[in-house]
Amino acid sequence: MITVKNLHHHFELGKKGEKSTLSVLRDITFQVKEKEIVAIKGRSGSGKSTLLHLISGFIRPVQGEIWIDGTKVTDLNETDFAAFRLQHVGFIFQNFQLIPSMTAHQNVELPLILDGTPQEKRKTIVGETLRKVGLENHGEHYPSELSGGQQQRVSIARALVLNPPLILADEPTGSLDSETEEHLLELIQQLNKEMGITFLIITHDDQVAHIGNRTIEIADGLLVEGGVTHEI
Amino acid sequence: MKFKDQFQFVRQNMKKNKVRVFMTMLATAIGCAFLIVLASVGFGLHDSLIQDTMQDRAVTEIQVHGKEVDGAYQTLQDEDIEYFESISGVKAVTRNKQLQQSPVFSIDDDYQLQTMAMTTDFPSELKAGLELSKGKLPEKDNEIIVGHDFASNLAESNISDEELYNDENQVKEEYQYDGKLLGKEIEMKVIQIEDNEEKTHTIPLTITGITEAPNREWFQDQNVYISESVLEEVEQFTGTSRGMVSTPGQEDMSSGQQQEDYYDQVTIYAKNIEVVQEISDLLESKDYASYSVVSEMEQINMMFTIVKAGLIIVGTIAVLIASIGIYNTMTMAVTERAPDIGIMKAIGAKPKTIKRIFVLESSMIGLAGAVIGTAIAYIVSMAVNFALPLILESVFQEELPPELRFSMIPWTLVLIAVGICLIVTVLSGLRPAKRATQIDVLKAMRREV
Ligand SMILES: Nc1ncnc2c1ncn2[C@@H]1O[C@H](COP(=O)(O)OP(=O)(O)OP(=O)(O)O)[C@@H](O)[C@H]1O
Ligand SMILES: [Mg+2]
Repeated sequence: MITVKNLHHHFELGKKGEKSTLSVLRDITFQVKEKEIVAIKGRSGSGKSTLLHLISGFIRPVQGEIWIDGTKVTDLNETDFAAFRLQHVGFIFQNFQLIPSMTAHQNVELPLILDGTPQEKRKTIVGETLRKVGLENHGEHYPSELSGGQQQRVSIARALVLNPPLILADEPTGSLDSETEEHLLELIQQLNKEMGITFLIITHDDQVAHIGNRTIEIADGLLVEGGVTHEI
Repeated sequence: MKFKDQFQFVRQNMKKNKVRVFMTMLATAIGCAFLIVLASVGFGLHDSLIQDTMQDRAVTEIQVHGKEVDGAYQTLQDEDIEYFESISGVKAVTRNKQLQQSPVFSIDDDYQLQTMAMTTDFPSELKAGLELSKGKLPEKDNEIIVGHDFASNLAESNISDEELYNDENQVKEEYQYDGKLLGKEIEMKVIQIEDNEEKTHTIPLTITGITEAPNREWFQDQNVYISESVLEEVEQFTGTSRGMVSTPGQEDMSSGQQQEDYYDQVTIYAKNIEVVQEISDLLESKDYASYSVVSEMEQINMMFTIVKAGLIIVGTIAVLIASIGIYNTMTMAVTERAPDIGIMKAIGAKPKTIKRIFVLESSMIGLAGAVIGTAIAYIVSMAVNFALPLILESVFQEELPPELRFSMIPWTLVLIAVGICLIVTVLSGLRPAKRATQIDVLKAMRREV
């Protein structure tokens, strides 16, 4: 599902004149297979988020290749990457990233609108998806009217709504209490089993790492554990 | 993303800040209204002038004065008339030979009128639109047709001029001839001066018809249409071409100068106004000197086109000022919505989609402004047309011509103004929209924009 080959990334720091580069990722190579749940672990500042942003296309790598679902996404331009993300990748963020002026229903509907799904179909699809995350009665609520766990469910529904084969999550339970976290992890496992969605989850949390089939660990920009499997 | 959804999206966004959006629309509307009203004065005055000109003279007429041959003007002869009649698009060619003196016509010695006499070709006059209000066309040589206003100018002969005319320079009713004219015997008196002595010659004629009133109220037709043989009789008496009265000391200057028969006044009537210019151009290429209202109109049109363009350019400045407001509003909208835009980009909105949403928003503001502005412009225009004549009349104590319209808004002007508004607003929304596409996803999601 995901193949990362010899990925390097660094950030340019400072103003002109006193430039310096901060090397964040060095020679990262790993693979995520279909229907896997893979957890990425590492200390704060080790470059986990940066890795996920590179896979998402929010930033471009200095060097290396990324393949998702058979497409070499590192070759896509901005527009094509956007279209690719819409179809193939769902996102779950630590702080949910819902649009506050839209109801839960409208937030979940957004990918469908961007995809050009006709209005009649959208209503039923959104309804179904909200039911999958257990929020069938909260469609008309605004994000501010929902609990943290509920908001994260809305964002999961939004990630699911176009049936992507892959969902990327950056500390999805980071803002939730442990009980809510447990429910959410159950939901993720269930979606993985029932819909065959591949998950790549960044986490500090052993509980999250626990549901994963496997764990990748990053330290100081280097992949230290679980990266290379026999197939690469 | 479907257009319908984009539209829906934009509408929701606009609702979030109604007051700001409305104020921006209002500014655009005022700019647009200013543009339309300003230019409408050019259109109104142009139209008034055209109507005025069209009413004054028949628009399908082309007067031909002569033909230029080797730098000199030649009079028009039968072969010229034949050529004119052969031009396609020509309805009729009327031609007159004018008596070079105004004979005195009198009935029963009691009533008389001094007026112009001319020969004419009745078949072509009829084709050109001449109609008789009474009687029939002449058949014999001594039969004549008189103009519609001949009768009302035929006045008692022994009344002094001061007494005869009323304030409007018309013969007072009590002195007008009130008997019947048709079949009436009338005497035409021509003069010639010989050896400083005035000789007169009288020709008896019979009135067989009266022409229809001219279609312009103030236009009077009191001409007398005589036959060729009457003209010849006059020429024989005076011994000059066209019955010219010889000036003492300059006798024989004009007589016999013109060997061939010619026409004094030739008018071509075009089938419709569209071909007038065509015929005029053809005549010009054949060295005929001609005049038509349409050619004069071309110059007027040219001038007004320049004036209108100038007014539209000045008006556009108002729209440009309004566009600064749109630029502002859109920039603020982009800044406000940066986090939302970041989220949308993250989940897969193309930059083009983001751009289109914002361009659509600014063009909707522009369109709404243009529509409101057009409505305002119509109201202002009506008010101007209603109030300005009243004000001017009371200030200058003078009546204005009834067809005068200060402000006119043809649909072309509305199209131009709405077009300018849309172009300007779309252009001013373009930069903010471009900025929206450049928003960094990560920064936006960290609320750093
Ligand atoms: N836009 C940026 N510009 C410069 N440096 C950056 C930028 N983003 C991240 N970094 C640096 O890159 C390193 C890795 O950051 P990253 O966010 O990937 O860490 P992380 O593993 O996700 O940490 P955490 O667990 O705290 O989220 C950090 O040292 C950070 O300061
Ligand atoms: Mg992180």
